[in-house]
Amino acid sequence: MTQELQAPLAGSPPVAPSDRSAPAAQSPAPSGRGAERARRILLRVGGALVTLLIAVTIAFALGRMSGDPTSTILGPMASPEQREALRAELGLDQPLIVQYLEYLRGIVTGDLGTSLQFYQSNTQMIADRLPYTLQLVGAGMLLAVLVGVPLGVLAATREGTWWDRGASALALLGQSVPVFWLGMMLVLLFAVKLDLLPAGQSGSPQHLVLPALTMALYPMAHIARLTRATMSEVLREPFIDAARARGLATRQVVWRHGFGNAALPVLTIVVLQTGTLLSGAVAVEYVYSWPGLGQLALQAIQFRDFPLVQAIVVFGAITFVLLNQLVDVLHALIDPRLR
Amino acid sequence: MAAEPTFETAPAARPDGDLLAVRDLTATAALADRSLTLLDGVSIAIAPGEVLGVVGESGSGKTTLARAVVGLLERNVSIAGGAIELAGETIVAPGVGATDQARGRRVGMVFQGASRSLNPLIRVRRQLAEVLRRHEPGISRDDVTRRSEDVLREMRIEDPDRVLDSYPHQLSGGLRQRVAIALAVVTRPSLVIADECTTALDVTTQAEVVRLFRTLIDDLGLGLLFVTHDLMLASDLCDRIVVMSQGRVVESGPTAEVLDRPQDPYTRRLLAAVPTWTEGVENPHA
Repeated sequence: MTQELQAPLAGSPPVAPSDRSAPAAQSPAPSGRGAERARRILLRVGGALVTLLIAVTIAFALGRMSGDPTSTILGPMASPEQREALRAELGLDQPLIVQYLEYLRGIVTGDLGTSLQFYQSNTQMIADRLPYTLQLVGAGMLLAVLVGVPLGVLAATREGTWWDRGASALALLGQSVPVFWLGMMLVLLFAVKLDLLPAGQSGSPQHLVLPALTMALYPMAHIARLTRATMSEVLREPFIDAARARGLATRQVVWRHGFGNAALPVLTIVVLQTGTLLSGAVAVEYVYSWPGLGQLALQAIQFRDFPLVQAIVVFGAITFVLLNQLVDVLHALIDPRLR
Repeated sequence: MAAEPTFETAPAARPDGDLLAVRDLTATAALADRSLTLLDGVSIAIAPGEVLGVVGESGSGKTTLARAVVGLLERNVSIAGGAIELAGETIVAPGVGATDQARGRRVGMVFQGASRSLNPLIRVRRQLAEVLRRHEPGISRDDVTRRSEDVLREMRIEDPDRVLDSYPHQLSGGLRQRVAIALAVVTRPSLVIADECTTALDVTTQAEVVRLFRTLIDDLGLGLLFVTHDLMLASDLCDRIVVMSQGRVVESGPTAEVLDRPQDPYTRRLLAAVPTWTEGVENPHA
């Protein structure tokens, strides 16, 4: 019996993965595949650099188009000599192309200029504030993912039920509530009324709770809605029915086969939201006096500290471009068809 | 050389009874404004080693019947009457849903469009392994590898190791179909349901799949519920045929009898709709 099965059937020869009748099985030769991969990586890095150049150029142009910074910094009573001195100090007396090249050189060498308000290196100030923002964004996004993904999966697996409607309503609410209002309400309830948590500042895990909660709400709602939509689509795919028909546990079908295939768009949103929040969690940091980059950006704008604003914008652009690259890499890691 | 494949099947068939018996099965779908009868008192039976073809046009209830056996009906579809017995054990009846234990272990299923019935992000090796581990919890890693390679050899795959390490998109349509069948039979079920599983394939691959099923049935003694709208294909493979229309069985019997001497007008119309052959060209199915 075994031999019968092992022996090729008449007119039905064994099929090899690279059979001529199997064009889809053909893969490029290893060397060709390596060259193709190298070409794609080069294209990707080149594209990122061009995007970055455009972003920093726009930041430079906007800084120069917003009027003479010496007037806004020194005020109307300053003498022409004072203005000229400041222009020289800021390098604004140089031709525009020289300023631009100097600006690019600074970015490449990590020198983002000096703050007019704090008389410190902008790079150093961003580096000092970044850990606080990372803490806040990290905790907020973690919370958003831990709540948003299960909420979206729950809604998708119980489509059309009250679970689905409840989860969707919660997500809609999360996206509709203004962050500053939520922050103030949480402060009023947990800090002022119940006296359970500190109202602001930083320094302990307790200080992180309310800002992280506030920070998490919008991305959580976004992640929940996206997860629900993507999962609903994936759960209709034939391979989900096939996995069920093979008797796999619901948990395996939903998470490994379902969410595994729905994860890409969710992951993209998580990474890009992280980028957005890293470069400016202004409202949350302001409400909770959190000493992060958002607070710094606000101070810079209020004082018209244009080198610092420009430095924060450049930092945001670099962060965003790098995270976009990370998204591409993660896509290729998760989906073999994209490699 | 790899160990010889083993062919023990799950203990399912009664010594003298049907492997699968569907009795008076009625299924209804709850729509927004009314209830729609999808299956209306359907009765079929399959003995071990038998191939039962279920034919009929789209919407006749073939797929609903197949999915009812494995408990994969849509959420709005419910069993209103009748029962499904697997080896004498009732697995589906109104208020009874005991297909979980049968699904994958005692009943395997192959779907239409194998390409889309394989998870595109998971290698074939892992897809086979998770099925084996699910149904045989204590199985060793070596046994998983051996059984995976064996089942692919049974599918006439020449280089199982390479296929095991491939993602579905790296395989041809024919290979993907064989992998899908391998996933359905790797646990040695006593019944396999093939739901239009040859529809998207070219005729050569269709013929190969039919031969593969024939060999598996002859060697493993499994029963096959072969759902198709292709009467010629059904005539090649099936021992008996059931013709369905509007959720009812309108005719059933041995394949030759049903196809050569159809009694029901619907069956006659179905046969009349099969493309005829140009004069002078021999019909290979004749």
